[in-house]
Amino acid sequence: MFHKLFSMLDKTIGFEQAKAHCDVPCGIYDPIIPQIAALTVVRMIDLMTELEGKGGSHDMAYHNSMSRYVLVKEEHAEKVKQEVRVIWGDYLKPMHIEKYPKAHELVHKIMSLGSKSRQTTDREAAVQMVEALNEFAQIFWETKNVPTKRAKAPYAPGLELVYPNL
Amino acid sequence: MLQILRVSGISLSPAFNEGDFVLAVKIPFVISGLRPGDVIVFRHPEFGTLIKRVDHLSPGGEEVFVVGTQENSVDSRQFGLINIKDVTGKVIWHIRKPGG
Repeated sequence: MFHKLFSMLDKTIGFEQAKAHCDVPCGIYDPIIPQIAALTVVRMIDLMTELEGKGGSHDMAYHNSMSRYVLVKEEHAEKVKQEVRVIWGDYLKPMHIEKYPKAHELVHKIMSLGSKSRQTTDREAAVQMVEALNEFAQIFWETKNVPTKRAKAPYAPGLELVYPNL
Repeated sequence: MLQILRVSGISLSPAFNEGDFVLAVKIPFVISGLRPGDVIVFRHPEFGTLIKRVDHLSPGGEEVFVVGTQENSVDSRQFGLINIKDVTGKVIWHIRKPGG
């Protein structure tokens, strides 16, 4: 009861924070980085499909563009894995895992989908990775008591992302 | 003399968790009577307003060694003793976040 009352007052007045931080208290973690990286992977697969679909000769220009798409896909799939590992290892604490027991399984799923997105051009796997990251973002923001919303990213491939509703 | 603060971070968990509230009192005789185990709020020039537990005081009682309960807590083990003048309150009431 008191906590509810104080929460309401906090929203109105805004109490000062007393930080009980660990490590260097920079505290800057945001799942939007891997979410955007995962969208980039989907976008690269779309561009690769589009280029291949154009037909024509596989000349230098084709190889140049295709190589660049593959490179960006590789980099961003790896970025997904790296960023999620940091949040998982540095931010998520036992108390969070206790509340979200599927978090470990979810992180493992993201790692697997990240690897598959590097190894293949499976668009469905990349889309699944975006969705798994949405799930991850949902948990992340819930641990911070920040409400979320789902909205289409305002750029291709225009998939839905979970955003903090600030 | 009284201040309500919202706890962020988990260096004092499981006793104090993210989203809890505390009521801190700053009355000179309360501050001068700090004892090991008390939870205090203080200002740090680099880290801002922090909440930690008193581990011990210097012999003259002018400096305080503060700790968190988590091993990677940022506290006196890292930044040394804090001056008693920087203590802005002693926690006298802890309002836990439900389910926290």
